[in-house]
Parts: sequence; C-alpha cells; structure tokens
Amino acid sequence: MLAWKELLGSKLKFGLIAAAIGLVVALTLLMSAMSEGLITGMTGAKGSLAGDALVFQRDTQLSLERSLLTKDDLATISATPGVAKAYGVGHAMISVDAGGSVFDARILGLSDAFDQLPLLEGRLPQARQEAVVDATAKADGISLGDSVQLSPVGGDLTVVGFTHDRRYIMTPVFYVDMPTWLEVYSASLLGRTAGTVGAAAGAAAGDAAENTDTSPLTEQLSGGASIAAVFLDKGVTVDDLAARFGGRYEVATPQAAARAGNGMPVMVLAVDGIQVVSLLIGALVIGIFFYITTLHKTAQIAAVKALGSSNGYLYRQLWLQIAVLVTIAVVMGMVLALGAGASMPPAMAFDPGVAKWGVSLIAVYVMAFLGSLFSLRNILGIDPATALDRAEH
Amino acid sequence: MRNVSKHYGSGHTMVTALDDVSLALAAGRLLAVLGPSGSGKTTMLSIIAGLLQPSSGEILLAGEPINLRGAAEAASFRRDNVGLVFQDHHLIPYLTALENLLLVPHLAGRVRLEHRQRAEKLLDEFDLTKRKSHKPSNLSGGERQRVAIARALMNDPTIMLVDEPTANLDTERGQKVLELLRGQIHAREMTCVMVTHDPRMAGQADQTLELVDGRVVNDGS
Repeated sequence: MLAWKELLGSKLKFGLIAAAIGLVVALTLLMSAMSEGLITGMTGAKGSLAGDALVFQRDTQLSLERSLLTKDDLATISATPGVAKAYGVGHAMISVDAGGSVFDARILGLSDAFDQLPLLEGRLPQARQEAVVDATAKADGISLGDSVQLSPVGGDLTVVGFTHDRRYIMTPVFYVDMPTWLEVYSASLLGRTAGTVGAAAGAAAGDAAENTDTSPLTEQLSGGASIAAVFLDKGVTVDDLAARFGGRYEVATPQAAARAGNGMPVMVLAVDGIQVVSLLIGALVIGIFFYITTLHKTAQIAAVKALGSSNGYLYRQLWLQIAVLVTIAVVMGMVLALGAGASMPPAMAFDPGVAKWGVSLIAVYVMAFLGSLFSLRNILGIDPATALDRAEH
Repeated sequence: MRNVSKHYGSGHTMVTALDDVSLALAAGRLLAVLGPSGSGKTTMLSIIAGLLQPSSGEILLAGEPINLRGAAEAASFRRDNVGLVFQDHHLIPYLTALENLLLVPHLAGRVRLEHRQRAEKLLDEFDLTKRKSHKPSNLSGGERQRVAIARALMNDPTIMLVDEPTANLDTERGQKVLELLRGQIHAREMTCVMVTHDPRMAGQADQTLELVDGRVVNDGS
C-alpha cells in the first residue's frame, strides 16, 4: 500500500528518479553495445563462420591474413579422423570502387557453404563474380544489383544479396565462391592490375579455354584456401583435433580464432575493461543513489515503525518500490540505448548482446537493492524516537 | 516503570540516559514530563513504547511486567497497546488524513469496514471530516496535530505517549490541542505520558515529573 501510494503521490519526484537511473542504465548499455560492436566489427565474419573449428596454417597465430592451405592440406584435414566435414575459406584484402567512392573491403570465398549467411535481402551467389555483402557496405553507396569494381586488381562483382554482422577488421565482407576468391587473391599476390583478373580466374577454375595464366603460383593455389572450417564428429573436441594434427596446423573454435591475431587479444582486454568499469561505475552510482534516497526517508520509515510496522513490512514496501522504479528505469534505459543505436550510422559499431545486457541489468537491480538494504538496515538499527529526533534536527 | 535505567556504551565511555527511574500512573491520568534537552525524556518515552529495551528495571502494564523479546514482539505490543504522537506530527505526506488513520489497521493486518467507520468517527470528533481527503501539506499545523492524535487513537490504545504536541503551534492552537487530548484521555480511560518544555502545558496535567541527567529531580504527583 505505502509503496504504491508514495509512487503515485509523488509522480514528478519518482519520475525524475527513474529518468536519472534510466540515463545511467542507458549509458551502461550503450558502452556495452558499442564496445561489443567494436569486437563484432573486427571479428564478426571470422567468428561466425559455420563449423566447430577453424584450421590454420602452422605458426600463423590464427591469422586469416597469413594462413594459406594447399589442396593437399585441405584433403589431409578432411581425411583426419574425427572430421565429419570440411570446407575451405579464402580471404583476400581488396578495395572496392562503387562509382567513384573507393573503400576497403574483405573478400571471403566459401566452398558451397553460403547457406550459413543470414540474408537481409536478395539471394545467395549462384555463379562466378556474384557476391553477398555485409549490409554496412550500403553506407558506402552499395545497392542490390550493383556491379562494383575491384581495385587495384580490376574485375567486377555483382551484389546479389545483403547479410549482416559480417564485417572483418571493421570493413564489409564480400562473400564469393572459391574460384572468384582465387582469381582475386592470386591477382593481388602477383601485383596484377585492372584487365588481368579474368586470365587468373580461368586458371583457378581449371577452364582450359580461358586458362591463359601460366603462373606457377596460381597453379599451386588452385584448390587451396586460406583456412579450413571443419565440423567434428560427435564427441570429438577441438583439442582432440589439434592432437591428431600433431602440430601440423593450428586449430581453434571460430570464436576463439576471432579473438586472436591482428592485435585482438589486446583490444578484447581493453573492451572488457571498458565494459567492466562502466558497469561497476553505473551499478555503484545506482546503489549509492538508492542508499541516499532511502536515507532521506528516515523520518517516514521511523514513524511507520513507531506505529507498529514490522521490519519485514518496511523491507517489502521499499523493495517493491525499488523494483517498480528500476524496472521503469531499465525500460527507459533500454529504449534510449536501442534508439541511440538505431540512429547511429550503419558503419558505427553497435552490438546489443543479450548476455552482456543481461549482466548489466542484473547488476543494476542487485546494486539498487543492496544500496537500499544497507540504508534501511541502518535506519532500522536506530530506535524510531531517536531517528525521528535526528530527522527533525 | 520500576527502577528503569538505560545506559549506552560501556566502561568509561558509558552514558546514562535514564538512572533508576520509577513512576506509576493510573488509567485516565495525564503525566507531563519536563526537563531540558538530553535529560532522558525521549529515552523514557521510547522505553515505555517498547522502542528501546531498558538496561535494567521493568515496565508494567496493569501490574504485569512487559517482557518484549525482539523487534516483532515490540511492534506487536505497540500496535495493540500504544498510541504515539510525535512532536512534528510525522503524518505520511502522500496519504490523506483518512488514509493516515487507516495506516494503523493496515500495519496490523487488514483494513476492514469497522476500521473505516472508526476512522471517520474519530475525524468527526476532531472536527476534521471536511479535511479527510486532504494531504498533510494542505492542512494547517493545528489540523495536522489533530490528525496525528486521531491516528494515535485508532488502535484504542491503553497507553498514549505524546512528545511535545504543542511545540509547533501558537498558544491558542496549542491549548485547543491539549484540551482535545485531555478530553480523550479521560473519556477513554487511557494512561498518557506527555513530554513538554512548556510549564503552562505541564500545569494542566494530572501529574508532573521533572528529569535532569536521567534522574527524577521533582516528582510533582
């Protein structure tokens, strides 16, 4: 009764309290989502590759850029006991010219594994030179059906679909088939420029009619990939697979591999630090806030206790009030954070992870309850007459 | 009260708030307790109300010692036997005058029709019927103190404890409140202890008692 009456009787006061807490909640959630978005933007495409494990060339520190597996390597990996299925993933760095606007991008070749891509619009690639692209490329002027120029190697890619959360090192990823990847990759390695890509592609595809590229490098790369993504038999672990490779390859789960290489361990540490500090400060501010607001009710609590209220009743009333206030604040904070996220440019990192937000919100509730608990415990520890006397003077 | 003492702290830091105080008060009588600040008046009220446990001595109600074990038992004793009126009324600011009265049965469990009828009757007796839907901020000082006294009477208490009921009122309003209080005490045969600084108010009590440094220096009964 008292909790509700007080809330309803002082709408402005409690509205302002809820708004203040809501802003702290929004700040905490935004920090979490933006820092997590940074990680997703750096590693999304790598960490979300379908498979139980990613296999890299030895001594490449799980780096997509440095790893290269030959056709024989892929065959060895596929034939390793415990491997149910494997497919090659090719990686190349490229610049994309979208009608005058040139931006950095990554190309990932997938061997018949396009169905792992969540489509926002369009369709999956069905032919050479077709690409599904991360939706952040739209901010660079890319639209469905566009034909984009690759620079400096030359050649076109047609955008047939858009996917999401598939960036790598903060650049949008273009998913193509393996022959197209090999065409671009070998041309990049050989330092070719516009006008020479088609020749390399012919070699990659093994098409005798188009095979005008006689480079030994291209021949060696044919059938290979940067890394292999593997599905394991039931009961086989990544550690088991690593043991079976005997040090010939590096192995990690996609998530672990995503957080390795390219300075990612340091970045992850920094991002975790930002999240922990913002959560701690946010939760502490809320805890202290409720400690103080409860202390301000000393006279009222003392009066109710003197009238014959049990301590349990006072705890229940206070906690009901805090539950209502914090819930309103949490909803406000989430709406604010999501609204801010929605209004951010697509290229800006924002990833509201359910687990991280869940932890933040639980911390907010816990600290609010703890703050008021300490406060109320102090008040109830004083006899009401003394508490009333203090409140009066 | 029989040989009641209350000490805070221990050893050489021990402070004695009440020192071997004894007093007896019959039903329907008003006792005024006088004394300077820090003389132990509030401690005395708190002990009678069961808000504080005495260090030694005992409180008797109708000849029977009150042994309160724990906060829950003390709260129950207050709900059943004690009416409290504070110096600064301490009405709940977001409740109306009527709701402030109904808070007492609410804390005891449940508000029933008979409680509503009793609250309405008390407000009528205190000439507050027209003000029953007003919140304390919309009441005058005298009206607030009358609501506070009416609230203290809601549980039909055996003991009424009143702390400086007229301190924040002018002489005329203070006199009216005191007359009202006296009328209720005599009509309901309650025992009432009133702490006051005002000798004129104390002069209208049935008994007086003066405390200095926790000791009774003048038992005017």
